[in-house]
Amino acid sequence: MIESLSRSSILIPRMSALNDGSSPPQSPVTIEQRASRCFDDLFESIIVDMASECHRIARLGLDRNLEEEEEELRLSAQARMENLGSSSEYNSKNVADIFGQTHPAIPSETFDCMNCGRPVTAGRFAPHLEKCMGKGRKARPKITRSTTIARNRHARGSPVTVFAPYSTTPNNNIIPDDTPRTGGEELANYTFEKP
Amino acid sequence: MENFAHVDELNLVLQLIESGEKEKLMELLRERLIECGWRDEMRALCRAYAKKKGRNNVTVDDLVHVITPKGREKSCISVTSNFAISTSASSVPDSVKAELLLRIQSFLKSVPLDAL
Repeated sequence: MIESLSRSSILIPRMSALNDGSSPPQSPVTIEQRASRCFDDLFESIIVDMASECHRIARLGLDRNLEEEEEELRLSAQARMENLGSSSEYNSKNVADIFGQTHPAIPSETFDCMNCGRPVTAGRFAPHLEKCMGKGRKARPKITRSTTIARNRHARGSPVTVFAPYSTTPNNNIIPDDTPRTGGEELANYTFEKP
Repeated sequence: MENFAHVDELNLVLQLIESGEKEKLMELLRERLIECGWRDEMRALCRAYAKKKGRNNVTVDDLVHVITPKGREKSCISVTSNFAISTSASSVPDSVKAELLLRIQSFLKSVPLDAL
């Protein structure tokens, strides 16, 4: 009812225009006013919708999780920036991580190589594997007949008798396939275990 | 009185017609506000306000005041905190408002006048 009363104030200027019986155009001011009021009504409904939605989110704490994540991201980015300020290499290796642990530059934990079964230091595991698996570097494992057979079987898919010379001479060009040849002396005690 | 007779008619007609067109206008306005980022801005404002005031102390009324553009706040400005004033909502982008107004006006013009 209040709405209709307020609308009446807009209609008053139109009264005179209706006297001739035809349908006269509404005066532009009136239409604009009415349109503006219409818009305001719509806008207000939307505002109330938004407010109640935000209220709900705030009360239920749904937004907090996102917010905290954003904050954490920002803080970690900040911390990273600050770290870059000082000597980065020193800091990245000796600074405490988020669990409060510090890690030495070269890990010293010892475990057994799953390829050859030897105990190996973690920091030296990669070079060890290079030699152990015979790929990539000059140093190659010493082969025994069983290793050669096993490797060829693996490579060709059928058991093959290979007359691989069991020697320590660095004659690497004889066998054309990828059978590894003998390398350094320290690997004399290798036994290749087929997995 | 004649005034009120016309008003009643108008009211009725408007309600009938608007029950169809009003929904479309609402949808259009909502869509435009989302597109232009107004909605996200308001959400951020509300979030900040809720954080400042304390999550459980916020009322819908507070948030309405946070979102409502400055020009429409009448006497209630001083009641809200300084924080709310300084970050009071920007009003709707002009292009959005213009589009909606145009649409409403064309709708109002298209309504058969003898029905009013």
